[in-house]
Amino acid sequence: MIEQVFNGLVSGAFFALLALGLAVIFGMLGVVNFAHGAFYMLGAFGAFIALDSFGLPFWAALVLVPPVLGLAGVALERTLIRRLASADPLYNFLLTFGLTLILQDAMKTRYGVQSQPYPLPIQGSVNLLLFEYPAYQVFVFGFSCLVCVFAWFLLARTRIGMIVRAATERPELTRAFGIDVGRWVAPVFGFGVALAALAGVLAAPMRAVNPLMGADLIITVFAVVVIGGLGSVLGSAAAGFLIGVVSALGNLYVPALSQTLVFILMAVVLLWRPAGLFGREETLA
Amino acid sequence: MTKRVSRTVAATVVAMGLAACGGGPGGGAEKISDGKIVLAVLNDQSGVYADLSGKNSVEAVKMAIADYKAKYGDKAVAKTIEVVSADHQNKPDIANTKAQEMYDRQKADIILDVPTSSAALAVAGQAKAKKKLHINVGAATTALTGDNCNKYTFHWAYDTYMLAHGTGTAVTTEGAKSWYIVYPDYAFGQDMQKSFSTAIQAAGGTVVASDPTPFPNDNFSTFLLKAPSLKPSVIGTMQAGGDLVNLVKQYNEFKLRDKGIGLAVGLMFINDIHSLGVDAFQGTKFTDAWYWNGSPENRAWADKFQQVAATRPSFAHAANYSAALQYLEAVQRAGTDNSDAVVKQLEGYAFEDVFAKNGQVRAEDHRMIHDVYLAQVKAKADVKEDWDYEQIIKTIPAAEAFKPLSENTCKLS
Amino acid sequence: MIIRSLAGSRLGRLAIPLVAVLALALPWLVYPPIAMDIACWALLAVSVDLLLGYTGLLSFGHAAFWGGSAYVTGLVAINLQVPFPLAILAGTLAAAVLAVPIGYLSVRRTGIYFAMVTLAFAQMIYFVVNQWRSVTGGENGLQGVPRELMGVDLSDPFVFYYAGLPMVLLGFWLAWRIVRSPFGHVLVAIRDNPSRARALGYPVDRYKLLAFTLSAALAGLAGGLFVISHGFASLQEVYWTTSGKAVMIVVLGGIGTLWGSVVGAALVVQLEDYLATAGFQEIGIVTGTVFVLVVLVFRAGIWGTVANLLRAREARREGRAEAAGAPDRPEAPTPTSR
Repeated sequence: MIEQVFNGLVSGAFFALLALGLAVIFGMLGVVNFAHGAFYMLGAFGAFIALDSFGLPFWAALVLVPPVLGLAGVALERTLIRRLASADPLYNFLLTFGLTLILQDAMKTRYGVQSQPYPLPIQGSVNLLLFEYPAYQVFVFGFSCLVCVFAWFLLARTRIGMIVRAATERPELTRAFGIDVGRWVAPVFGFGVALAALAGVLAAPMRAVNPLMGADLIITVFAVVVIGGLGSVLGSAAAGFLIGVVSALGNLYVPALSQTLVFILMAVVLLWRPAGLFGREETLA
Repeated sequence: MTKRVSRTVAATVVAMGLAACGGGPGGGAEKISDGKIVLAVLNDQSGVYADLSGKNSVEAVKMAIADYKAKYGDKAVAKTIEVVSADHQNKPDIANTKAQEMYDRQKADIILDVPTSSAALAVAGQAKAKKKLHINVGAATTALTGDNCNKYTFHWAYDTYMLAHGTGTAVTTEGAKSWYIVYPDYAFGQDMQKSFSTAIQAAGGTVVASDPTPFPNDNFSTFLLKAPSLKPSVIGTMQAGGDLVNLVKQYNEFKLRDKGIGLAVGLMFINDIHSLGVDAFQGTKFTDAWYWNGSPENRAWADKFQQVAATRPSFAHAANYSAALQYLEAVQRAGTDNSDAVVKQLEGYAFEDVFAKNGQVRAEDHRMIHDVYLAQVKAKADVKEDWDYEQIIKTIPAAEAFKPLSENTCKLS
Repeated sequence: MIIRSLAGSRLGRLAIPLVAVLALALPWLVYPPIAMDIACWALLAVSVDLLLGYTGLLSFGHAAFWGGSAYVTGLVAINLQVPFPLAILAGTLAAAVLAVPIGYLSVRRTGIYFAMVTLAFAQMIYFVVNQWRSVTGGENGLQGVPRELMGVDLSDPFVFYYAGLPMVLLGFWLAWRIVRSPFGHVLVAIRDNPSRARALGYPVDRYKLLAFTLSAALAGLAGGLFVISHGFASLQEVYWTTSGKAVMIVVLGGIGTLWGSVVGAALVVQLEDYLATAGFQEIGIVTGTVFVLVVLVFRAGIWGTVANLLRAREARREGRAEAAGAPDRPEAPTPTSR
């Protein structure tokens, strides 16, 4: 039981990391990035390509791949996303949906549908007093938590974070203070993409690396951010952990419901708190 | 403006109507309808089955045609043989429409392959309606030769029963008595779980637990963490494709092999081993319908295949070759491509070809039975060349490999 | 606030006979089973457009209604052997009933939130259908759905197209009526400015829920017909890609144009059919690129763009400047959409 709860926290940390990127982008741009799953997939492929073509080990990929894809995200924002900034945010949702199809298919054309191999960077297991657990999973857990705390710190305790939060919540007022909100849009988008890529790199050793790896995951992550409250960084992280634990225990004790559990939870949360656990009620303009 | 548009539309409609009226079925009395045989391959050429079947199955079918022509030369009943193909993208509605189009418009006499159970059953339904043949290779469901069987549909290569009974029985009799079964919670997985449990118990083993998992799923840690406490001698996984890869990766991460818990896989293609590398799968046992390096004859065929496909064949490729070849042989014996005559020739026919050893098409349910093999993934040190991944440890005779007729629910019509 | 709907313009007067002729001629123009596919997808797209174009709600979960109805229709047809329109009616009702709880929870959110919530609910339906195998057949699908109609032989898809056409046209007529009714105008008002609509005393959420239910019923009608047409229901029907395809058709044809959905459906279904035999594997790249281009460049969609061009030309020729300024559908500025 305790080990299964821990197990849930481990997978929850991973959900939190994925949800975080989505939440950060939504918070700043009001755009739900459907391509988040595709960037997660590209992150994993990035790690694979780094190893396969350049002989770069996991640790190098962990440092290099997220910034590279983050820059690609910045470019994407500058060239495409921005053009639709004045239109309904739905159009950007649709745009990123189209991009997802392209990215998935491009990788499929190049690497096929079969999964790519990737070795485990940390062998062995760690003795956690009550039970043993694979060392790499423990690392992913710790690292994801660290990134979440870092992101929270960035948003809550730094000047950049203050601007971003202000721009999210009161864009006109922020602008009236003479702060150039537009300057921060692309970097924030890039940061969100980099977080997805980071999750992808972390996934490469423990998950199947193939072009469709992000396609089904993204829907669950959507449910996670809805539960947490869209745009709420803290909420996304908390909901990530919650979903991790709930599905780990659900798998075991109510297998018949395990696949629907996340969505049932979402329905309950929506009934009880329409804005999500940590979201604030939206005010009508 | 208004007038111009309507005039254009009217003209188009008339033109199209005329085009549709032209052409029609030829006379019915000829030996070979439309003067040619058309073999259609309908499968997944862009999705998850693209590598293990896909376009290269079309090449395999072409090889069968070449071999048929070479064998009979001037005496061949079918002088002109064409191959058409389409990508059903694993969507049953597209498969259904394409199957109709192939039978009606492209004059296909037979449709081959068709992976994905729902698509396969849809095509089988069209075969029945159009009274044309369908030999399925790619789908795993026993419904094709069970509840949904029909006079014009045949099933080659493999099915869930054969996979489960091969691996379940063989691994249990070899000493792995207690099983922990993990299966994806959908039709395929549920069938596999049932068949495995029956086979294991019949062989004197026990199933200590069997857990359904979400599908698709990328995180199996819940089950792998639970496994050691159950102390099974082997984990039987019914996952396939990407889910199988996820599970195997995590199985290795949790070091279950070192804890003395073996791994048996329900459905595995050689492409799965190729993609993850032998290390990840080392020692894993599974049932294979055919292995390219299993005999000199297989190898010779695989060499020919490699010249056109630039890769080694999976069992699905060889099975498509066999299905096309046996269809043409049946046409040869019948002296016509008339569906009823060809079906009569296929029913009960016993044969051998590069794919099927001790092959026989059962007349009662149209299941083609043949010898299948229990395979084990080699250790890396034993791999001598690319794709040299399997050690055949046992041949399961045709009569034991497939669902016995006594259990069958098929009523041919 | 009043939509300058097609019926108001010359194009609109032209559209109705044009569509009628095309609908009748379709199985001559394309392979008959494809003709029925186009009709069904067009109807599904219209149901999505009813929400997206006229209520400002993007549903990414209409697969739940299309697919839910598909399974109910199939089950009724198999088990009760009733004439197929009755089976479809049962499916349509089931879709509407399913829409009430889903809609009740979803319409509390707007914009992107709404899209994600509907997507999640549809995924939930997918899992239920997948697991409830004794009823749905699971992955094997629900096979052998009959086409019953008082002993008439409908096995020929060409014949079946004309047997099913009245139901399709009924669906289109309903959508058209809804859009042009006072109810439809309130929906547009809600789309454009929910606060004002609320201030005027309209129960906004209730209007949205009703629109959602009607839209789901239309999607159910389409799904039921699709299942009778193909003779089986499969998991594909409830999978999220079906919702995605419907949205794609709407965007391609033109949001808020209704007729655009027909054009979009014809295009997408034909493209899919062509790509199946084109011997060409980059299906996602092609559809994705088309989609991205439409979103970036032709946001009014095919029908919208053509309609705007024609109207501009007409206005120039007749020297009436006012007509040029009003596009078929005003851009959707929904400031509150998040």
